[in-house]
Amino acid sequence: MKRLSWDLMMTRYPAFFALIFLVLAVVINFILQPNMLSQETLNNNLRVFLPIVLLTVGQAIVILGGGIDISVGATVSIVNTILATRVGLDGSPEKMWQFMAISLLAGALAGAINGFFIAYLRLQPIITTYATSFLYGGFALYILPNPGGGIPASVAEIYRSWTPLGIPLAFYVMGTILLLWWYLYSTRFGRFLYAVGGKAQAAYETAVPVTWVQFSTYVISGLMAALSGIAITMLSGSGNAEIGAAMTLTSVTAVVIGGTALSGGIGGVAGPLMGALTLGIIQNIISFAKIDTWWETLVKALIIVAALATPGFINLFRRRRG
Amino acid sequence: MAQSLSAYNITKRYGGVLALADGNLDVRAGEVVALIGANGSGKSTMSKVINGVVVLDGGRLLLDGGPVHFSSPQAAKNLGIATVFQELSLIPQMTVAENIWLTREPMQALGLVNRKAIQTRTEELLALFEGTFKTDLHPDTLVASLPADEKQIIEILKAVSSDPWLILLDEATASLDSRQVQRLFELVAKWKEQGKAVVFVSHRMEEIFRIADKYSVLRNGRTVGEGDIKDINENKLVKLMIDKDSVFAFARTASKSDDGKSYCLEIKDLKTEVLRGVSFNVREGELVGIGGLQGQGQRDLLLSLFGDVRFSGEVKLFGNGSRLKHPRDAMERGVALVPGDRAKEGLLYIRSILENLMLPSWKKYGLPLKISKAKNDSTQVGASLNLKMAGLQEPVSSLSGGNAQKVVIGKWLMRQPKLLLLDDPTKGVDVGTKAEFYALLNQLCDEGKTILFYSSDEEELIGLCDRVLVLHDGMIRTELSGKNLTKENLIAASLGIEGGAE
Repeated sequence: MKRLSWDLMMTRYPAFFALIFLVLAVVINFILQPNMLSQETLNNNLRVFLPIVLLTVGQAIVILGGGIDISVGATVSIVNTILATRVGLDGSPEKMWQFMAISLLAGALAGAINGFFIAYLRLQPIITTYATSFLYGGFALYILPNPGGGIPASVAEIYRSWTPLGIPLAFYVMGTILLLWWYLYSTRFGRFLYAVGGKAQAAYETAVPVTWVQFSTYVISGLMAALSGIAITMLSGSGNAEIGAAMTLTSVTAVVIGGTALSGGIGGVAGPLMGALTLGIIQNIISFAKIDTWWETLVKALIIVAALATPGFINLFRRRRG
Repeated sequence: MAQSLSAYNITKRYGGVLALADGNLDVRAGEVVALIGANGSGKSTMSKVINGVVVLDGGRLLLDGGPVHFSSPQAAKNLGIATVFQELSLIPQMTVAENIWLTREPMQALGLVNRKAIQTRTEELLALFEGTFKTDLHPDTLVASLPADEKQIIEILKAVSSDPWLILLDEATASLDSRQVQRLFELVAKWKEQGKAVVFVSHRMEEIFRIADKYSVLRNGRTVGEGDIKDINENKLVKLMIDKDSVFAFARTASKSDDGKSYCLEIKDLKTEVLRGVSFNVREGELVGIGGLQGQGQRDLLLSLFGDVRFSGEVKLFGNGSRLKHPRDAMERGVALVPGDRAKEGLLYIRSILENLMLPSWKKYGLPLKISKAKNDSTQVGASLNLKMAGLQEPVSSLSGGNAQKVVIGKWLMRQPKLLLLDDPTKGVDVGTKAEFYALLNQLCDEGKTILFYSSDEEELIGLCDRVLVLHDGMIRTELSGKNLTKENLIAASLGIEGGAE
């Protein structure tokens, strides 16, 4: 009975625990850094968190649909190197907008390649996207073998310090994303997404277009990775083909913290979004508490291993008892 | 809305097996047709032909007199044919309402799903079974949290929600309790009045006579009887289901008097998730059959004796109480299992015949590797089984179904087992090999080995076994032996007809 209500809790309010984590992290951070909620510090923090938030949202949609996308970090790198080499430090803002559109297309294409292999050729998501992550990562290195290049400062400045009505830009972006997700969730596509992630065979028997839904989740993920790449390029102002490499693990961890099950079909996007913010704040805490930074990766990996192992342990426990 | 669906001379092959040779069915609006047949008679294939799950190889399908072709379940659904699947097509992580309306959600402006409409329409549907639910069932209850019977009801409502003209109920009552069955039958009566047609696939005779207007009996893939249910009775139906002339001549050894021999297996009150208290004893050298419809607990019985399923109750092997927690425990005591699904459970298909034969006996041939001894023993076992192979190094996948099954038996014979548990070993095995099997089983019994033998083929049980335990719903319904061991009695007992053993 207890287990039942736990299941219900996790399926009905998947973001509940993410919210608790987030509040906890904010409180600890606030103690260590009392000026955290001032407008400037808030903006400084959020513009750093936003790229990973965008990446996590795409990852969450893929995972909800029963897949996983290990190649998102490499897509971020591709977009970063495209912008840094094609626009340049002395490029015009118009050129920047033009190549942002091209970046989005590149992201969608990267996602479509993943989607084609996984949905139409029925290959394993984790193996496929692991392989394409090297393909995309290699392509990013081909575009920009050594760190360098950049984007015009005037464009970067918009991202870094634009606070319309005194509210940081990141809030508007996150608000828009949540609104778009709510819309998607309320359409038939939303139902299909959960059905495919929950039990693809039953969805197929009920005439849900399973292949098409799976394909579209990877395209969405590719688009979100491109947005994330644009954001991180505006934040850093320069190009580096390795910039996205560490972001993949973070996006998966954020999804897990956000209460979206790695097995698919359970959870949402709001939870992972909060999870991404929580991870960002944890990073803050680590730097303020003067803990060595290598702890961060270890903690992230521990969270994922624990999330993967928990259902196994519960089963083992039940077998022993039963 | 369509008025009739007719199937004529349907044939369907699965590989080399002819599942349907001449299947016929005629359903009209406002009628309930019961589709009846013994195990393997082609009844489930016939229902899959009607709902488009399989594509037929020959024959004609007519909708309102005009030919139709169903390329997928969806095609049949679009023509108003809905199926209540026995293996449910529900998504556990979604709610009752979401499941029922999946792909047919009522919509509102901007492409949004109309959740209010879903809610109220689901409540209307749930009201059809109101009062029969054991749990507090709402439209937004998760399907994963429902018990089996309520999941089945949701599956029924899902089929009904598309407002079909023909509803195929495939063993839909198997997991329902009597009150829920009663309610379902009231609904069926109402659907009849509304001009809907129902095809009712069931093993329960009593239910067939309660709601069906017509019957259609299949035997060995052929329709052997059709008509009005009021013109027939249970006994006549059972007779129709039985094949008069047996295909095989069984070399049955005369029933020996076993009274002097000691018990090899004593089971008292064996319970698992499926079995509800089974007790019986088996003497050394006996060949005991287990009968009954598929899925009545036969598999659980064999697996628990092999230590592969958790059970409570007492099991004595060769006079000693046994702790069977792992197949290893059973193997050490000389028990062998020939599992029901040889491709999944019995063999490593891509590995060689030799490796497969050695697999349970690694202790004997393993460290240090005694490969020539293993080869000798394997060749010997292969010869005694008349195994037709190109060589011991060939992969098992190169063998025919019958020969592959010989490898499964052979790998256990290499261990000299004392008790053999056989789970439907002749399924998908050709006729010639079957005859060899029967001879082998008799020979093994003569050598003093004990055999517990489940088969979905009634004739095998009658031809081979000293006595047959008929399982029904997790319990032993009847024990048949001697003169009582006839096909009629066996089928009657399988179907749960009272007094079948008299």
